Amino acid sequence: GRRPSSLQHKSALFSYVTGQKQIHGHENWSLSPEEFETWDRLYRIKESDGVKEPILPQTRFETLENMEEIPHEEEETHKLSLSEWRIWQNHPFPTFVVDHSDRCYHFISVMEMIELMRYEQGDCSYELEIRPHLHLEDVNVQRNKSHLLTTNS
Amino acid sequence: MEATEEERLLLTQRLKAAVHYTVGCLCQDVAEDKDVQFTKQTIAAISEITFRQCDNFAKDLEMFARHAKRSTVTTEDVKLLARRSNSLLKYITQKSEELASSNMEQKEKKKKKSSAAKGGKIPGEQEAAVNESEDSNMA
Repeated sequence: GRRPSSLQHKSALFSYVTGQKQIHGHENWSLSPEEFETWDRLYRIKESDGVKEPILPQTRFETLENMEEIPHEEEETHKLSLSEWRIWQNHPFPTFVVDHSDRCYHFISVMEMIELMRYEQGDCSYELEIRPHLHLEDVNVQRNKSHLLTTNS
Repeated sequence: MEATEEERLLLTQRLKAAVHYTVGCLCQDVAEDKDVQFTKQTIAAISEITFRQCDNFAKDLEMFARHAKRSTVTTEDVKLLARRSNSLLKYITQKSEELASSNMEQKEKKKKKSSAAKGGKIPGEQEAAVNESEDSNMA
């Protein structure tokens, strides 16, 4: 699979950093000529590789003025997707040394909830379960004009 | 023991219902603004995400306050929640400043009122009273 091989790559890198021989030339923050050669040969993405450079999607807020600079999106990049494999995400994925966090479990739970509601038509099971517990003093009743209590979508 | 567990569940349901209702209202605003419709299931999902996000926020805020050797969560901790995005941080900071200045105005008014009413009050005592109201604002 992909995981073991990427782990091997990682440990190969670590051994370069910690290896005795390397430590001498390693007072700089940058790669030594040897390390550069290794990187260039094994890891650097070149045009001839026929793979696009991976980039992460930028944060953007629909409802706020955006200050973050918008990167010029090149055709030659592969934007890593956090939603492409969503149907896999209602179960915890395996871990290595870092456990899943609470917010990760929250995410998994909501994905499972969405999965369970996916084929619902009209009435919403969540709403039917939760709505009887509503105390009007808990909410801003000034907004009560909302059609939510009356509409059926 | 079992009774408290049941009570806890009821409180959770009550809070979820309030969040769900409010999320519905906010979604209604967005729906009108963008001329789209949200399914009930979409609103339910956003509501559950919001509810669970509050758990993340609450735990982080408690840790941020403790990190600053405080037991009271302040606006500084809330700003830290928004630190990852410049846009969000700017927005939250602006809101926080607006709140602070309107609090100041109210305090000024109170000060004038109380000093007018109780004429000769010891300055130190008055200060303490102001600080007290500040604490209750934060809580």
